[in-house]
Amino acid sequence: MKRVLPAAIAMAAGFLVLVDFFFDNLYLNALGVTLINWVVIIAAFALILGFLNILTFHLRKIFQRQEGWPYSIALLVVAGTVLFGGLTSAQGYRAPLVRTVFDYVQTPLQASLFSLLAFYIASAGYRAFRARNFETFLLVVACLVVLVGQAPLARYLWEQLPALKDWVLEVPSTAGARGIVIGVALGSLATGVRVLVGFDRPYSE
Amino acid sequence: MEVLLNLLEASGIEPLAALMLVVLLVFLSFLLFADRRVRLGFRPTLRPLPGFALLDGFVGQAVEAGRTLHVSMGTKGIGGASTADTMAGLMALERLAEQAVATGLKLVVTVSDPSLLPVAQDTLRRAYERRGYPQGYDPEHVRYIAPNAIAYATGVMGVLEREDVVANAMIGGFGDEFLLMGENGARKGVQQIGGASSPETLPFVYVSMDEALLGEEIYAGGAYLSSKPSHLGSLLAQDWLRSAIILAIILGVLIRTFIL
Repeated sequence: MKRVLPAAIAMAAGFLVLVDFFFDNLYLNALGVTLINWVVIIAAFALILGFLNILTFHLRKIFQRQEGWPYSIALLVVAGTVLFGGLTSAQGYRAPLVRTVFDYVQTPLQASLFSLLAFYIASAGYRAFRARNFETFLLVVACLVVLVGQAPLARYLWEQLPALKDWVLEVPSTAGARGIVIGVALGSLATGVRVLVGFDRPYSE
Repeated sequence: MEVLLNLLEASGIEPLAALMLVVLLVFLSFLLFADRRVRLGFRPTLRPLPGFALLDGFVGQAVEAGRTLHVSMGTKGIGGASTADTMAGLMALERLAEQAVATGLKLVVTVSDPSLLPVAQDTLRRAYERRGYPQGYDPEHVRYIAPNAIAYATGVMGVLEREDVVANAMIGGFGDEFLLMGENGARKGVQQIGGASSPETLPFVYVSMDEALLGEEIYAGGAYLSSKPSHLGSLLAQDWLRSAIILAIILGVLIRTFIL
């Protein structure tokens, strides 16, 4: 029973939402919307679980004086401040305190971290684009054509270089990306169907 | 054709949805047939995927070095468009968890989407229960870092930096933040396997990982790591449907070029 019931519920819910997607029926639509709303509510509860997970992990870290424990204090203080600001204000997550933390702490930190991506790309590219075999040689050539072809000076180097860059992006690159997308769609379909027919049961043993 | 369209309209189904339904039903029949074949003893030949071969050796490597193994479940969760990617990550986690429990290794699993936290914890718990050692399970082995992708990446960079990680597996739904984590691990000399399905993320996976699982390869974990019959059958069915699609594309091009 412990195995069958969760599987039966999951399969029934999955089929109902799927049938609702394909057929335009008033009752099916209402049922599908209800099930999807339940998902949203369950996801909200999952967020509480996530917060408790963070809380217990960092409290343990502080009490056991593990490496980097002062950062855990900072994390809990900021989390508590945001939570307090949101819960005590009628504006909820739009409360001035919450907005201040987001606008002046989180957003600048995120922007500065994301700006590092350019340097990370350069260092990763340097390591990866060494022509070790024919495959990486092709990669280096394509990379150079696109990189130099984007620059305004490209046409002075060789008149056809911008056109060659466009061709690389529009033909081999797009063809490869579409191949990947078709493969991914098939893989996603297979994963979904396996769960729907009960071959895969990530929700029960 | 008109009769068919009228019939579809009467049954309350859009033409595009009808096409998708046909593809779904065709795949379902392929899957059931292929699954039956595999269960009757047919074993398809799988092309080598070095990523899964390396993944299988991760636990041994970590145990030998007496260090930690980190598993990132991606920045997406369950219930969205990337659910299949997340399921692929869970499949890898299941395998690593089984091996880790058998060898007494501590796994550090990080998640970004709260919906994934209980599922990843359950995967780990079941691995302990299967080995008859449920008391060894600690829910804190799975850590929820942050719902924001960049904040999550920062947290994972901290884990790679501080927790004496020897190997890092990152399979699931990722965006640009993948490179922040992957490059950090590469600089630390951590052995890494990464897998993603988004074409925009794949270059980052390719350049920062020791072995990369590109696109649909991430979904093949069940077949490669556990030889599950339904997953082997699923790979067969995917190949058949792929052949049918290629044939349809070629026929479409020929018809469009020479007839219409």
